Amino acid sequence: MVSANVKVTNPMGLHMRPAQLFVREMTPFASEVTIVHKDRTINAKSIMNLMASGIKQGSEIEIRCEGQDEQAALEKAVALIESGLGE
Amino acid sequence: MILNGIGASDGLGLGNAVCIRESVLDYTGVIYAGAEAEKARLLAAVDAFCRDTERMTQKMSGQVGQHEAEILSGHIAMLADPFLRAQLEEKVEQGSVAEQAVDEVCAFYEELFSQTDDELVRQRAADVRDIRNRLLGLLLHVKPIDLSALAPHSVLVAPDLTPSMTVGLRAENVAAIVTQSGGRTSHSAILARALGIPAVLGVPNLMNALSDGDRVLVNGGTGEVILNPDAAQAEAYRIWNEASIRERQSLQAYRTRPTENADGRRVSLYANIGSTAQLDEVSSVGAEGIGLFRTEFLFMERSDAPGEEEQYQAYRAVAGAMPGRDVLIRTLDIGGDKDVPYLSVGKEENPFLGYRAIRYCLDRPDFFSTQLKALLRAGAEYQNVKIMLPLITSVEEIRAARALLEKCKAELQEKGKAFDRNISLGVMIETPAAVQLADQLAKEADFFSIGTNDLTQYTLAVDRGNAKVEQMYDPLHPAVLRSIRQVISAARKAQIPVGMCGEAAADPKMIPLLLAWGLDEFSVSAPSVLTVRKWISQWGDRQAGELAQRVMELVTTEEIHREIEKMF
Repeated sequence: MVSANVKVTNPMGLHMRPAQLFVREMTPFASEVTIVHKDRTINAKSIMNLMASGIKQGSEIEIRCEGQDEQAALEKAVALIESGLGE
Repeated sequence: MILNGIGASDGLGLGNAVCIRESVLDYTGVIYAGAEAEKARLLAAVDAFCRDTERMTQKMSGQVGQHEAEILSGHIAMLADPFLRAQLEEKVEQGSVAEQAVDEVCAFYEELFSQTDDELVRQRAADVRDIRNRLLGLLLHVKPIDLSALAPHSVLVAPDLTPSMTVGLRAENVAAIVTQSGGRTSHSAILARALGIPAVLGVPNLMNALSDGDRVLVNGGTGEVILNPDAAQAEAYRIWNEASIRERQSLQAYRTRPTENADGRRVSLYANIGSTAQLDEVSSVGAEGIGLFRTEFLFMERSDAPGEEEQYQAYRAVAGAMPGRDVLIRTLDIGGDKDVPYLSVGKEENPFLGYRAIRYCLDRPDFFSTQLKALLRAGAEYQNVKIMLPLITSVEEIRAARALLEKCKAELQEKGKAFDRNISLGVMIETPAAVQLADQLAKEADFFSIGTNDLTQYTLAVDRGNAKVEQMYDPLHPAVLRSIRQVISAARKAQIPVGMCGEAAADPKMIPLLLAWGLDEFSVSAPSVLTVRKWISQWGDRQAGELAQRVMELVTTEEIHREIEKMF
């Protein structure tokens, strides 16, 4: 498993549209992708769970990827969050 | 009997109640057909849901449509969630019928979303409810509610209206909308206002009080819903309706006339709009341009800010509808009084004196640049877009905005995108500071537009939303009139165009004064365009000039009103 800590930058956190984008980009990876936020583990390929997570701008989150393409998945996930998810 | 609710869209409507009741979605009689069979039914229903939804989003256009289309495409994304799918399948494998699986899983998410402390996430609970009802309807073969075939003079009575229900709604057949839940910002309210349908929302116990075919008179201004109006009430409606039809007909002659005073002197008459959906009305009344395009609608009722491309498309739509004519687009004018959670303005003690409009935008250059770039690009094709900055109080602000605008041009240039390099940058004059600095601002701005609503509030220190002082709010107060005269005079000296986009520009008492002082452009709401064109045509230069002179010698607001009224 690989993991990285990132800070959410987009103003609204992970709402409908950013969550939709994140899920769409991460789904093709075979690895399991989870986000740890405030001691809760969230399936990062689930838009419902992402939306309900309460992750906001400024939230510190840990992204974990596990699977054959875990390195690539992690790099993609970090890049997406750092780029502000299209905002 | 009179029911009371929230008046959410102005006007009177008289018609027959059509009650939209939520269908009975009872699945207690459904027998479990085995895990595989239930899974197949579930999958078929989900597929049908996505197909229907795709079709609905394609049917949508305009502002309301765009908003609805976005909500509906979100529904597809939510149903595509593998985690939610797994929960559904698990329920079915454990012996639940497909209906029960849908019901329970959706109830779980509705609960989850309603419990968060985030307003936007809580709104998603209503989406989950809509998904649940539609899926159950598909599984139980209950016909979905279809409002596209309503008889004329229908008064829509419903618990609430969802985007999936209102696809294909024909506005001309709907006399009024009444709902049991919802407020001024709900989907029903936005829809009603965009379509010009009178609406009363949030009427307690509505669904028990009304039945199909009931004669109902709806007053969207006062929030009253009158069941079986008596002869006098129906007569009052008839008189109102006939008068408004007669007035509309007599004004038709002004649709194709130029805007000029009694001496044949031309002035410009533009329209104020708040969304691209109003463009049809603007051209139907023959407005000669757009004097104020409020961009707030692009930013409201959503969960995140629109990107450059989306803004560009909206601005370009307006510019493209008015080739060869001015389109004045106001940059985001938003603050603590409007609920746009993602902008994180926060609640303020004094939002009108707070972090808003140009102050907010200059403080968030990245965010502001997105809008400026979209505007620059929108002006590329017809060179008719003009940028207007709200709430200016200093020369520094226009300099800062201009510097940012130049930076945006350089970035667009580098990316090889087309834009209007000579785009006009003007300012709203709506604060006492801007009035005092009008001569200085005129050297830096390409045009002025006087915003009388805010100018009156700030000059008189009166909040017109406060019932105890609202009677003090009056643009004909001598202090406001002096300010307006001073601003027009400063603009004329500097030879820049000056317009007015506040409500005062459509005030029959104000019009002769503005004509006398030399206002170049009047910008009013689309429904007022024809009336204002008529009023302008009734004043000659001498008559207006003499009146203005007399008025400016008077010292009280009351004397001013009386003096102007003598002329009518």
